[in-house]
Amino acid sequence: MTTIMVVDDHPMWRDGVGRDLTEHGFEVVATADSVAAAANRAAATKPDVVLMDMHLPDGNGAQATVAVLEHSPATRILVLSASSEREDVLEAVKAGASGYLVKSASQAELVEAVTATAEGQAIFTPGLAGLVLGEYRRMATVPTGDGPDLPKLTDRETEVLRFVAKGLSAKQVGTRLGVSHRTVENHVQSSLRKLQLSNRVELARYAMEHGLD
Amino acid sequence: MSTATLQRDSSGLLPLWRAAQVFRLASLIYAGAVQWTVVEHYVRPLLSWAVFALMLIWSGIAAMLLAFGYRRRRQVVAAEVVVTLLLMASTLMVGGKNNYFDRHQTVPTTFWAANAVVSVAILLGPWWGLACAGLVGLSALAICNQLDNIGFDATLPILLTVGLAVGMGAQIVRRAREQIDRAIRLEAAASERERLAREVHDSTLQVLALVRRRGAEIGGPTAELARLAAEQEDALRKLLSRQAGVEAPVPVPVPVQRDLRSRLEEVLPTQVSLAAPGQPIVLPEQMTDEIVAVVCAAIDNTAKHAGADARSYVLLEDDGEEIVVAVRDDGAGFDPSRLAEAAAEGRMGVSKSIRGRVTDLGGTVDLFTAPGEGTEWEVHIPSTGAEQR
Repeated sequence: MTTIMVVDDHPMWRDGVGRDLTEHGFEVVATADSVAAAANRAAATKPDVVLMDMHLPDGNGAQATVAVLEHSPATRILVLSASSEREDVLEAVKAGASGYLVKSASQAELVEAVTATAEGQAIFTPGLAGLVLGEYRRMATVPTGDGPDLPKLTDRETEVLRFVAKGLSAKQVGTRLGVSHRTVENHVQSSLRKLQLSNRVELARYAMEHGLD
Repeated sequence: MSTATLQRDSSGLLPLWRAAQVFRLASLIYAGAVQWTVVEHYVRPLLSWAVFALMLIWSGIAAMLLAFGYRRRRQVVAAEVVVTLLLMASTLMVGGKNNYFDRHQTVPTTFWAANAVVSVAILLGPWWGLACAGLVGLSALAICNQLDNIGFDATLPILLTVGLAVGMGAQIVRRAREQIDRAIRLEAAASERERLAREVHDSTLQVLALVRRRGAEIGGPTAELARLAAEQEDALRKLLSRQAGVEAPVPVPVPVQRDLRSRLEEVLPTQVSLAAPGQPIVLPEQMTDEIVAVVCAAIDNTAKHAGADARSYVLLEDDGEEIVVAVRDDGAGFDPSRLAEAAAEGRMGVSKSIRGRVTDLGGTVDLFTAPGEGTEWEVHIPSTGAEQR
């Protein structure tokens, strides 16, 4: 059975979401209301999936994502974002979260997303595609200097992401490009992997520039 | 932190008070030199040394009290004026040989007496500074029997100038300080309001989102509740994103800049998916308004023609040189030749509102549509060219 941890500082939301997931055959093994609690409980319970709120009393979802992955690297993280916290969501994704949903998503969408996340898929909503595209564009304008090069998207990957951002499903994108939907999903996954890689490159560069080891 | 500074010296004049005490020291040295040089011309040299000693003592007291933020400045300054006038009057008793004082200044030199004018001007501004300069200057002339020489003697004009200049300087400092205080207070109030709004609204949004979701699932009469909650959630979210953009009412730089992303967030209904970068896209206000109008026209078109179940997707991109906005719906679509027909028939709705605006911005529009394939507008607008407009 897929084990879940719900991280949110609102008890009502935790209970509501937890009940929904339990009804659909998931096992909620822990809840947490802060970054610190999320890290501790992730270490103790090693959940398969964490549903992560962006707004926590002692930090944001991006910090909590880092903390959880440090204590339980195999856990997959799905961010639930309540309002426009795009930069935080992007930070969480770069730190290793595998997708995000807005909180107004329906129960069916939530269950589907948790199932897909547990299977190792990225939850590539149009919103996430827009964020990822924007981030690659931003990185392209940053001078690289002496440091290691930041990863770039291939033209095909950019094309695929733009379709996803415009609301086309993997299947529809595949039809347009004359490739299989698997190929489309691979492009999407690789754009996310590169972004997480870019995060490590940026961190390493930051460490070098600031003389940290 | 800022409030602590405010309490210690609300006027911001402390540096001016301190500078004035440097002036006082210089005037004292000058007075000492004059005393040393001309003491032989006095009838009562011993008394003149006593007057000089009193000047020294008073200067020390006043300098300490004024330079270190003593709270009762008014009393100190009033005492300073009285002491200065009294010491100047003592000149009559010191006396000068051969009408010495008829051609010279009082024992406390005019330079030293200017300290009283400086203090009054800093404390009360230019008008009081002028008044005190008049009082001290006329007293000096009267004591030295120079009133008939008033047009030729430099004492009065110099003191009046000092009173006016220092007073105006102090007034400028005081007003600047008031403006800074007001700005600090406004900023603190605004950020506190924002913080509270975040706290309160985060909880409220959570509850509304929950009611919306559960209500829709339970169905029946509860669906109505869910619909109401959804409306309120949308309204509150729009209000919030508008509020986040509001800044303290300080003078705005020209031209006004707006974040296109948050403007679209405010305007678009929540069922429209908005894909955008993490960073704000800041453009001149007019350009932002035009792009928002283009997107709205395309979305309205979807609502009218694409069918009830059609969803709209907006993709916003900024590559540093141009802004790309794609508006797509998955609705019925249409034969693009119909647009040309409509234009030929004089129906210019979509063409005018979308193409006209984009052309004005120096951009280009592409339309992709076919029956059953949805409709997609893709707009390219140069961001660099627009900044010069």
